[in-house]
Amino acid sequence: MSPEQFIDHALERYERPLVSYARTITGDLESARDAVQETFLRLSRQDLAALEPRLAPWLFFVCRNCALDHRRKVVRFADGLVEDDVPDSRPSPADEAQLSEDAAQLRTLIQRLPLQQQELVKLKFEAGLSYREMAEAMRMTVSNVGVQLHTAIQTLRRHWNRANTPILP
Amino acid sequence: MNDSRLTAYALGELDAPERENFEKDLAASAELQAELKDIVALAEQIPGALASDASLTDAQRDSLRTRFAENHCTAAAQKTTRRLMAGAGIGALAAGLVAAALVVTRPTEPTAPSLAQAPATASSQPVDEASHAKVAQLLADAKKFSDQGSYNLAGKRYEQTLALDSSNVAAREGLAAVDRARSASQATTYNETRSTLVAEVSQGMELPVRHFSEGSGSLAAAQPAQPKSESVAAPPGAVTATSTRTGGAIGGVQSDKVDSLRAALATGYAGETRNLAKDIDLPPGESYAETAGNSFLATQDQPLSTFSIDVDTASYANIRRFLTNGSLPPAAAVRVEELVNYFPYTDPLPDGDAPFSVNVEVAKAPWNQDHLLARVALKGRDLAPDKLPPSNLVFLVDVSGSMQPENKLPLLKRSLLALVDKLSPQDRVAIVTYAGNSGVALDSTEGREKSRIRSAIEKLHSGGSTNGASGIQLAYEIAREHFRKDGNNRIILCTDGDFNVGVTSHDELTRLIERERKSGVFLSVLGFGTGNLKDATMENLADKGNGNYAYIDTPAEGRKVLVDQMRANLFTIAKDVKIQVEFNPATVAGYRLVGYENRLLAKEDFNNDKKDAGEIGAGHSVTAFYEIVPAGQPLPNSVDPLKYQATENRESRIENTSRDLFTVKLRYKAPDGDRSQLITKEVGPAGVALDKASEDFRFGAAVAAFGMKLRGDANDASLPWSGIQSLARSALGEDPDAYRAEFLTLVQKAKQLAPDVGE
Repeated sequence: MSPEQFIDHALERYERPLVSYARTITGDLESARDAVQETFLRLSRQDLAALEPRLAPWLFFVCRNCALDHRRKVVRFADGLVEDDVPDSRPSPADEAQLSEDAAQLRTLIQRLPLQQQELVKLKFEAGLSYREMAEAMRMTVSNVGVQLHTAIQTLRRHWNRANTPILP
Repeated sequence: MNDSRLTAYALGELDAPERENFEKDLAASAELQAELKDIVALAEQIPGALASDASLTDAQRDSLRTRFAENHCTAAAQKTTRRLMAGAGIGALAAGLVAAALVVTRPTEPTAPSLAQAPATASSQPVDEASHAKVAQLLADAKKFSDQGSYNLAGKRYEQTLALDSSNVAAREGLAAVDRARSASQATTYNETRSTLVAEVSQGMELPVRHFSEGSGSLAAAQPAQPKSESVAAPPGAVTATSTRTGGAIGGVQSDKVDSLRAALATGYAGETRNLAKDIDLPPGESYAETAGNSFLATQDQPLSTFSIDVDTASYANIRRFLTNGSLPPAAAVRVEELVNYFPYTDPLPDGDAPFSVNVEVAKAPWNQDHLLARVALKGRDLAPDKLPPSNLVFLVDVSGSMQPENKLPLLKRSLLALVDKLSPQDRVAIVTYAGNSGVALDSTEGREKSRIRSAIEKLHSGGSTNGASGIQLAYEIAREHFRKDGNNRIILCTDGDFNVGVTSHDELTRLIERERKSGVFLSVLGFGTGNLKDATMENLADKGNGNYAYIDTPAEGRKVLVDQMRANLFTIAKDVKIQVEFNPATVAGYRLVGYENRLLAKEDFNNDKKDAGEIGAGHSVTAFYEIVPAGQPLPNSVDPLKYQATENRESRIENTSRDLFTVKLRYKAPDGDRSQLITKEVGPAGVALDKASEDFRFGAAVAAFGMKLRGDANDASLPWSGIQSLARSALGEDPDAYRAEFLTLVQKAKQLAPDVGE
C-alpha cells in the first residue's frame, strides 16, 4: 500500500472517531481538529507498514496526547478554571438535528461521566477498539479498562432506566 | 451486581476460558441474565447517541495527503533497508518457529522514534546467547499457545519476547496475528450472543399466552408463533417495532404464518399425535417423530423388557433451545432417555477387562409412593488420553445457504476449532463440504498440521443448495482411503437437517450408512440451528451408523460434545449394547420403561447378533429407569384378569421361590467384534427410601420426571415443577461443569411457561 493509499484508508476509517474523541478532551471542535491534524502529521513520519497492525491504538494514543496538550494551553489561558470531567462539548446543530430524544438524553448522560470513562465509551462504541487496543491507547491495564467501562455502563444504565421508564408502552 | 465480566461479555471481550466460566455462571443466575440483557440493550443505543459528523476541514485533509505523498520516497527507501538488515538477522530463527507465511520482517518501535532511526543498532540479534535461547523458547511457547487458542498466554509470551528483543519481528507479527485471531473468534460468540439477547429483548414484549387443558394432567400451552427463530441480530429499535399481541389473538400478517405452521405441523408428523400438546406451533421446517410413552405392562403377560441403549443427548440441547427461547418444546422433541443421559454420573468404572460396569439401584418412586423406581446404569471404561487409538475423522459439512445463521456454520466452525486443539499428531482429519456440489475442503491431514486444519475450517462458508448423497460418498471414500485398522474411523455429519436433495432417497442413504458401518467406518451426526431441523432423520442416521447424535445450540455445548466428552462421543468401547430385563412375577405386578420408546426391541432380538443396537463410548454413562409396581398393587392401566392363562402361571409361580425383583442381562460386542458377550446381574428385593438413594439416582429421577411432564404422558402421576426442582436441588453433587445447575434453570423456565395449577 502506498502512503497515499494508506492515508486515505486511515482518514476514512479514523478521521471522525478521532475528531470526536479529541473533542471529548479538548471540549471544542477547532482544537480537536488541530489535535487530529497533528496526529496524522506524526503518522506520516512513521514506518507505516510496521505500524499497521497496531494503527488504531497508536492513533488514539498520539491523538490523546495532542488533545491533552491543547487542553493544557486552554487551561493556562483560562487560569485553571476548566474542570476535569466537564469539558464543554456541545454538539453541533447538525448533530443535534439527527438525534432522537432518547439518543440526546443518552448523549447527555455520557457527557456527565468522568473524562476517563467518556474516553473509553468513545473508543469502544465509536472507534470500535478492543479492550486491548484501548488499554494501549490509554496506557491502562486491560483489566482496568474492563472495570472502568463496566462502571460507565452501569452508571448510564441506572440513569437511562430511570429516564426511560415512563416512555415504554 | 458489579461484575465487569458482564460488560466484557456483552462486548465480546472475554477470552475463551473466561467466557466459558462466565457462561456457566450466567446459566445459573437469572439475575445475571437479566442484567446482561439490559446491558446489551443499552449498548445498542450508545453508538446512535454518539453519532457525530465532526471531521477535519477539507483544507486539513488535503494538506495531510500532500504530506504523505512527499514522504513516499524516503519512507520506501528506509523500509527496504530495514527489511534487509532484519531479514538477515533472524529470518532463520523466525522461519523455524513461526509459520513461514508470517515471516515478513519489519522491526520498529513506532512510538519510539529513536529506535526507528537506528535500525542497525536495534539489531535483530538478541544481545547474547542466553537471551537468544530464551527468545527462541518464548516464541515456541507463544506459537503453541496460539495454536491452542490461548491467545492471552500467547500474547504474553510475545510481549516478553519484545521486552528482551524489542525489534523481534516474529514476536511483533505473532502479536498482531494473535490479536486478529482473537477478535475473529470473539466476533462469532459476540454476534451470536448478541443476536440471541436482542431476540430475547424483543421477545419480552410478547409473553406467551398460557392455558391449561382442564382435567388431564397434561400440558397444553398456546404460544405465539415464532417467526424469530432464525434470529439474526435484530436492528436497534426492534423492541418497539415488534407487533404487540393481546390474549391469543395474533394480528394481521402473523396469521398467515400460523397457517403455514399448522400445515407444516400436519405434514411433518408421522404416526399418531396423541401426546402432542395440540396448540404448540413448531418452527417452520422442523420435524419430529412422534412416539407414545411406554405404558405399564403386566409381568404375567410380558416378563421381558428388551431395548437398545441410546447415548444420544440431542434432545436435551434441543429442548433447552425451546425453553430458552420462551416456548415449551413439542412433546415429540422430548426423548426422556436423552435428557437423563445428558448428564455425567459418578457410577464406578468397570473392573478388569469389562468394557462397562452395571449398576442397579432401587428406591421409592418420587412421583408415586406405592411404586418403586429402578435405575440401571452402565458406565463405560475410560481411556487415558495417551491410550486413545488414532482417529481418522472426516467431517461432512453442510454448507448450504440455510447454514448461514450465526448458530449454524459459524458455531460449527468454532466447535471444530476447539476440537483441533485436542488432536494428537497421529490423528487425521479431512473436511468434505456439500451443497450444490460437494467438494473436499481439506484432504485427510495429520493432526500435527494444526494450522492447516484450522485455516481450512476458517475458510468454510455457506452457499448453494444441499445434496447430501454425493458428499457422503466422497466422505466415505476418504475415510476408507486412510482407514486405521487399530483406530477410530468416523464420518461426522454436521448439518441443520437438509440433505434430501439429489440422487438418494432416505432408504438408499440408510442402506449406504449401514453398509459402510460394516466396513468399520462409523457415522455420527451433529445437528445445528433451528427452523430446519429434521430431528428424527438425524437420530436415525446416527443410529444406523453406529454413532451418536448430538445437537449443538451454544458454544458451550459445542465444547461439551467435541472437546470435554470427545472420548465418549468418538471412541466406541462396545457396540450393539442391548439390555433385557426379566421381571419376577412373584414380586413385581407390572413395570414401565421410562423413555427409550424408539429403542425397544423384540425379546428375540436380544440374542440375535445380527440385530443392530446402541454403542457406548469411552467413559460414557447410560442410564435407564424402570417404574415398578410391586406385587399386590393394582396396575394403573390394567386389563381384566386372563381367563385361560391363569393355570399355567400358577404352576410357574409354585416353582419360583425367588424374592428377586428382576434380572438384568446385557449383550455387547467389542467395537470390531461380531459375536456378543453376555453379562447378567440379579437384583434383590431391597428398595430404599428416596432420601437414602444416591445423588445420581435422585438427580436422574428428577430429570426423568421433568421429561415425562414435558411430554405430558398420560401414564404419569407427575410431580409438580417445584417437586422436580427440590428433588434435583437435593442432588446437585459436585457438578464440576454446572450442567445440573443449568437443569434447574430449565425447570424454572418450564414452570413459568406452564405453571402448575395453584402455583
